[in-house]
Amino acid sequence: MIKQSIIENVLEAALSKGGDFSEVFIEDKYVNRLELQGGKLEKSISGRDYGIGIRIFSGLQSIYTYTTDFSEEGLLLAAKRAAHAIKSGVNGTIHPLRKELFQPIHQIEQMPQTVEHARKVAVMRKANEIARNYDERIRQVGLRYIDEEQHILIANSEGKFVEDTRVHSRLSIQATASDDIEMQTGFYGPGAHAGFEFIENLDLEHYAGEAARIAITMLGADECPSGKFPVIIDNEFGGVIFHEACGHGLEATSVAKNNSVFANRIGEKVAPDIVTYIDDGTLPNEWGSLNIDDEGEKTRKNVLIENGILKGYLIDKFNARRMNAEATGSSRRESYRFNPTSRMTNTYIAPGTSTPEEIIASTESGLYAKYMGGGSVNPATGDYNFAVSEAYLVKNGKIDRPVRGATLIGNGAKTLQLVDKVGNNLAHGAGMCGSISGSLPVNVGQPMIRISEITVGGTKGE
Amino acid sequence: MHITKFQEELLSKAIDAGFKEAEVYYERSESFQCMIFEGEIDSYETSEDGGLGLRGLYNGKMGYAYTEKIDEDSIPFLIDSAKANADVLDEDDGSDIFEGSKEYANHTFYNEDLAKIQIPEKIELIKSIEKKVLAYDPRIVTLNYCVLQYFSGDRMLENNKGLSLKEKKNGLVIFISTVVKDGEEMKTGSFIKLTRDFSSLDADKIAKEAAEEALSNLGEQSIPAGRYPIIMRHNAAASLLATFTPIFSAENTQKDQSLLKGKVGKKIASDVFTLLDDPFHPNAASGSNFDGEGVATKARNIVSNGILETLLHNRRTAKLDGVETTGHARKASYKSTLTIAPLNMFIASGEKSRDDLIASITNGVLITDLSGLHSGTNTISGDFSVAAGGFHIRDGKISTPVKQMTIAGNFFDFINNIEEIGSDLTFLPGGYGSPSLRVKELSVTVD
Repeated sequence: MIKQSIIENVLEAALSKGGDFSEVFIEDKYVNRLELQGGKLEKSISGRDYGIGIRIFSGLQSIYTYTTDFSEEGLLLAAKRAAHAIKSGVNGTIHPLRKELFQPIHQIEQMPQTVEHARKVAVMRKANEIARNYDERIRQVGLRYIDEEQHILIANSEGKFVEDTRVHSRLSIQATASDDIEMQTGFYGPGAHAGFEFIENLDLEHYAGEAARIAITMLGADECPSGKFPVIIDNEFGGVIFHEACGHGLEATSVAKNNSVFANRIGEKVAPDIVTYIDDGTLPNEWGSLNIDDEGEKTRKNVLIENGILKGYLIDKFNARRMNAEATGSSRRESYRFNPTSRMTNTYIAPGTSTPEEIIASTESGLYAKYMGGGSVNPATGDYNFAVSEAYLVKNGKIDRPVRGATLIGNGAKTLQLVDKVGNNLAHGAGMCGSISGSLPVNVGQPMIRISEITVGGTKGE
Repeated sequence: MHITKFQEELLSKAIDAGFKEAEVYYERSESFQCMIFEGEIDSYETSEDGGLGLRGLYNGKMGYAYTEKIDEDSIPFLIDSAKANADVLDEDDGSDIFEGSKEYANHTFYNEDLAKIQIPEKIELIKSIEKKVLAYDPRIVTLNYCVLQYFSGDRMLENNKGLSLKEKKNGLVIFISTVVKDGEEMKTGSFIKLTRDFSSLDADKIAKEAAEEALSNLGEQSIPAGRYPIIMRHNAAASLLATFTPIFSAENTQKDQSLLKGKVGKKIASDVFTLLDDPFHPNAASGSNFDGEGVATKARNIVSNGILETLLHNRRTAKLDGVETTGHARKASYKSTLTIAPLNMFIASGEKSRDDLIASITNGVLITDLSGLHSGTNTISGDFSVAAGGFHIRDGKISTPVKQMTIAGNFFDFINNIEEIGSDLTFLPGGYGSPSLRVKELSVTVD
C-alpha cells in the first residue's frame, strides 16, 4: 500500500515531540451496496475508502489523527500535527519493523470484487420471490446486499508490521405485510466474514420465509400487555440482550475509568452458576470474527464470566495502561476515521442443559420473545432497553397468542442475576454495534434462556 | 492530484465513456476533538479528509461510484464502477442531472471568528467546564464524557450541464455526560450543544446545566403503570420527530411505505401543530443553500395547523406526483445515493413556558429523555414503544424522578393528541427542533 520507509518516517515524526508509542493504520476498502425494492433493482453504488490513521500514546494521553492525503508530505504533516499535542520533549524510541505473518483463520473463497453484479442480483431476486410468495398480504419486500473487502496494514513503534484482508458479506431482508388496516414488518439479516460463497449458499427459503412469516404473524397480533413477567428469549439474535445488558459494561472503554457496574469486580459472583459468557473473535467466518484486531493483535477466545464468576474484560492497548492489564485482542474501529478501543466481536452465552421444550413447559405464564429487535444501554448505570420483534404470551407452559409492541427494560447487572434457565441450543446472529469507535459487525449469541422477571412495556397497559 | 483538475478530467472522461449526463460531488473536511478526564487531556484528535462521488446517466439509468483516493488511477475505477452500477438497475426511474435553479439564497453557514479560535483556547474552555462540573456538587462522581469538537468542511457539486455550486460550513459541539451517585443510586445526565458562536459559550452556565441535568435524576421513585397526561420536553419531542421523519417522504408514500399517502391537503394532526422546514434558521445546524441535486432550498410549511401542506420531494418524486420539487434531495455524503430528508425541520413554538404547561397537569409525567428509538419504533405503522427517563408531575409541579420507564403509543395519534405547545423551541445537533409539548396521554410502564 505505502512504502515501508515512508511508514517508518511517519512513526518517527509522530514521536518527534515526545510520546512513547506510535502507530499507523492504513485502510484500503472496496464496497458494493445494492438495493432491491418492490421487485426492482433500484440502487447500486460502489466505492473505495482510503485513508490513514496515526496514533500516539504519551502515558495516559492518546492522540489520534487521520487523513486521506496519502502523499509522504501529507502523512508527515499529519504526524507532526498530532505530535504537536505532546509537550514532554523526550523523543520516543522506534524499533525496526518486522513483518509478522500469520495463518488466517477465516478462509475466503470468492472475493466479492471479482463477482459480477448480476450474480449478486440473482440471489436478491430469489429471496424477493420467496418472501413475496409467502402470503398475498406481503405487499412490499426490500432487500439490501452489501459486500466489503478491507485491506489493512498496521505498523507501530514497537516493530509491529502486519497486513490483513477482511471480507464481509450480508443480505438483509425486510418484508412488509398489510391487511389494508395496518402495516407490520419482519426482518432477517444474515451476514458473515466471508466472500460471495456465503451469499450463494444462504438458505433463502429459511431467511426470506422467516422475514415474511414475522410480518404476517405480527399483523394479527394483539397489543402486548405491560407488567413484570418471566421472559423466555430464544436463541441466536436473542443474545442481543446480554450484548447490551452486560457486554458493553465489560469493555475497557467503561471499565478503565470505573464507569461500569462491573469495574473492580474480577472474581466476584455476578451471575447464577448456569451463566458463562464468552467473546470469541476466532469463530471461523462468523460476522464478528477477525484474524487480527485493529491494533494487529491476534483475536482470541476471552471468557468474561465463567459459571457466574466475573473472569475478565475486553481490553485494548491504551486502556490496558490505565488498568495495568494485558490487551485481549479486542481493539476495533469502523475505519481509519476512528481511534480504536475495546469492543465486542462474537459474544455469546455458553449452552446449558435444558431443552427449549422443557423451558417453555416449565413456564406458567410469561412472555416468549422469539426474535429480538435492537436495543441500547447506558454503560454507567447499566440501564438497558430492547424491542422485541416477534413475541408471544406463554400460558400454562404453552406458547399462546402473538403480541406486538413489546419493549423490555431493566438493569443489566440485576437482570444477569435473574437468569434461571439456559438452553442447549446455542446459535449466533449478526448485527451492527454502534459505539465510540464507530459502527462494527458483531455477532450476538445464546441458547434459549429464561429470565425470572423483566419489566415489559406494551401498548395495552396492565 | 489537484481536485479541480481531477473533477474536470473525470467529467469529460465520463462523457467520452458514454455517460449522457454526469455530476461530481466533492467534500473535504477538517476536525479537532478533545476529551478531558480529571483535568488531563485524555484523547486529542485531528483530521483532514475528503472524497468524491460520481453520479451519471448511462443508457438512461443512474450509476454511482465514489472514492477517497484522488489520483489518476481512480478515474477509470469510478467510470467503470458507475457504468456497471447503472447497467444492473432494472429501469430508467426518471432520475436526471439538474441544470440548476434560477436563484440561490446566499446564507452563510461558516463563522470566520469561530474558525480563528486556536486549539489551546478550546482546550482551556473544555477543561474549565470539567473542573466546574466536578466542583458543583459532592454527589458528582466523574464525567464519563467531556468532549469538545470543532469541524469545518466544504462541499462542491459540479455537472456537465454547467451547474457549479459550493458551500462551506463550520461548527463546534460540546458534549458532557455527568455521573452522579447518592448512596447506592447511580445516575447520569447528558448535555449537548452545537454552536457557531464561540463567545456564546459560558463555562459556568454550561457546567451548571450539565450538573443539574444529572443531579435532578437522583432520588428516583416508582409510580404505578398506566395512562398519563404527558409533557414531552423539547429534546425528547425533537428526537421522536426525527425518528418519524420518513413518513413525510414522497419516496415512501409512492412505495406504500408511509400512511401519509393521499393525505396532502387533509388534516393529519391537531390544530396547534405546525411543522416547518427552514434551511436558514439561525439556531439550527443542518442548513444549506442547495439540496443534494443542486436545487435551491427555501423555508416551507410542511404542516399548517394540522393540515398536511406538502410531502418532502426530490425532482424524481415530484415529477411522479406532478408537483414541483421541494428541494429535499439529500446527499448524506459522497458515499451515498440520493435520498429524501428535511434540512432543519421543527415544530413551531407556542406561547406558554414549560412551567406553565406543567402547571396545567394534576397527575402526569414529564419525559426528558428517550432511548431505543432506533429499535422500538415502526415508521410504517407509526407504533412506538421506547425507553424513557423523566419525572412525576403532581399538582402542577415536578415531583420526583421516575425509575426507567417505557412509553408506548402511535405517532399518528401522538400528533393528533398534542394539546398545547410550549415556547421553548430547541434544536438537536442534527437539525431537528421542537418546543416542549403537552400531549393528552400515553401508556407508561415503570421498571
